[in-house]
Amino acid sequence: MPSLYHETVKLSRKRAEGLKMAAMHAETLLDIAMMHSETLIVRARQGDQGAQGKLVQLWYKRIYNFGYKFFLDHDLAMEVSQKTFISMCRNLAGLQDIARFKSWLYKIAVNNCREEARKNKNSRSLSFDQVWNREAEESPAWEGSGQRLDNPERQLEQVELSDILQEALLELNEEQREVVIMKEYEGLKFREIAEVLNISENTVKSRMYYGLDGLRKILEKKNINKDTIGYEL
Amino acid sequence: MNYKPDEKDWMAYLYGELEGQEKEKIDRYLLEDAEARAEFEKFRRLRKMMSTVEDQEVIAPPIFIGDTRQRMLWSSPYFKTIVSIAASLLLIILVGRITGTRISVSNHEFRLSFGEEQAQPIRESAPPTQALTASEVQQMINASLNENNLAQQASWKETQAKLDVSIRRNLNASSARIDQLVRQAATASQDQIRQYVSTIQTENAQMVKDYFQLTSGEQKKYIEDLLVDFAQYMQQQHTNDLQVVQTQLNSLQQNTNIFKQETEQILTSIITTVGAPQESKEIKN
Repeated sequence: MPSLYHETVKLSRKRAEGLKMAAMHAETLLDIAMMHSETLIVRARQGDQGAQGKLVQLWYKRIYNFGYKFFLDHDLAMEVSQKTFISMCRNLAGLQDIARFKSWLYKIAVNNCREEARKNKNSRSLSFDQVWNREAEESPAWEGSGQRLDNPERQLEQVELSDILQEALLELNEEQREVVIMKEYEGLKFREIAEVLNISENTVKSRMYYGLDGLRKILEKKNINKDTIGYEL
Repeated sequence: MNYKPDEKDWMAYLYGELEGQEKEKIDRYLLEDAEARAEFEKFRRLRKMMSTVEDQEVIAPPIFIGDTRQRMLWSSPYFKTIVSIAASLLLIILVGRITGTRISVSNHEFRLSFGEEQAQPIRESAPPTQALTASEVQQMINASLNENNLAQQASWKETQAKLDVSIRRNLNASSARIDQLVRQAATASQDQIRQYVSTIQTENAQMVKDYFQLTSGEQKKYIEDLLVDFAQYMQQQHTNDLQVVQTQLNSLQQNTNIFKQETEQILTSIITTVGAPQESKEIKN
């Protein structure tokens, strides 16, 4: 029986790894396509609706995820993505430097996020203190777990950790949050973020530093550290 | 060593955006300072922890963009508004021109007119009169009133006289005519009454005659009907009586037959009873 259990665990691990590799591979291809989309941008700028559609397909996931991490809300992320790409198609002709397409697109997305946040400031007054499960916060599910192996239980822990991190992100102020998301999850360079936000590179780095520091404090407050998550990151 | 990296350097180093001497400086600093190394390690661990957040999968929906960039000037709402106002004004001006509308405001007067303006006749001013005093005017009025009164009195008297003459003449004429009419009416009524009475008498006699004729005819018919009905009744009664008698006779005959049969049976049974003991006696014997 134990051998069967180990076989199952091995299989599930292999499958997970395979999926992860496939995802990484797909993301790499997508990244390559995004990096080499100059021709597409030129055609889209000339009003080619097919090229515009392809650009939307290429960048939609990135902008949606940026919006999702900014709001932790699917509907708002969709709203921001739609507005961003409508604005992109309408104003692409005005883009002077194709090399700055990425920062230009994120600038539109950031502006839309800020606008949505302003609109939803009053309507969405539910704080995390209200939705946070205090009991779970004080004693995370994995704290008492004796078996700390790379298994489905660990995957569940990672999902929970991911949720906690996203909620922690939402506790940062808007300026730090947008910088942290753009740097950590969207992979923009500090120079590009500075272009997006129209601020100096040093200010971006400073916001990033305080953003990460803030996140660390929030996680410490929630008792999330190397010991509680139970494995070396 | 006085070098101490600031927050910007830490971030650039953490995300691999530091090169050359700056990177080496921080490498060295980390090697030498354990506290800084521990601090940096916290950031590095946090980054690893943050990498557990994976992207959400999403399918890009179709985005339809209206061709708003190529919107012409005349299709913009402002242009449409301005053009509609201009068209309305032009229409008003044209209508005004066709109907010859004139609007003028002068001397506290608003005037709206259509068509050609007609020159108003200028009233000639009355010739200057000599000034009269109040007493003269009063005398003139009094004199005028007196004249007027006298004239009216004369006309009233004349009218009164005419009316009197006319009434008398009419009265005489009408009384004579009324007397004549009354006389005619009296003579005419006696003849008419006589004629009327004789007519009524004739009508009455005729009516009574007709009544009796009609009544006698109806009575005759009624009696005839009555007699016929009575005869039929008597016939029916007679037939019924005959049927009753016949039925009773039949019944009597049947009873007689039955009695006869019973009698025969009784006689037969008596004979058989009387004969039987004799036969038994004979057998015994």
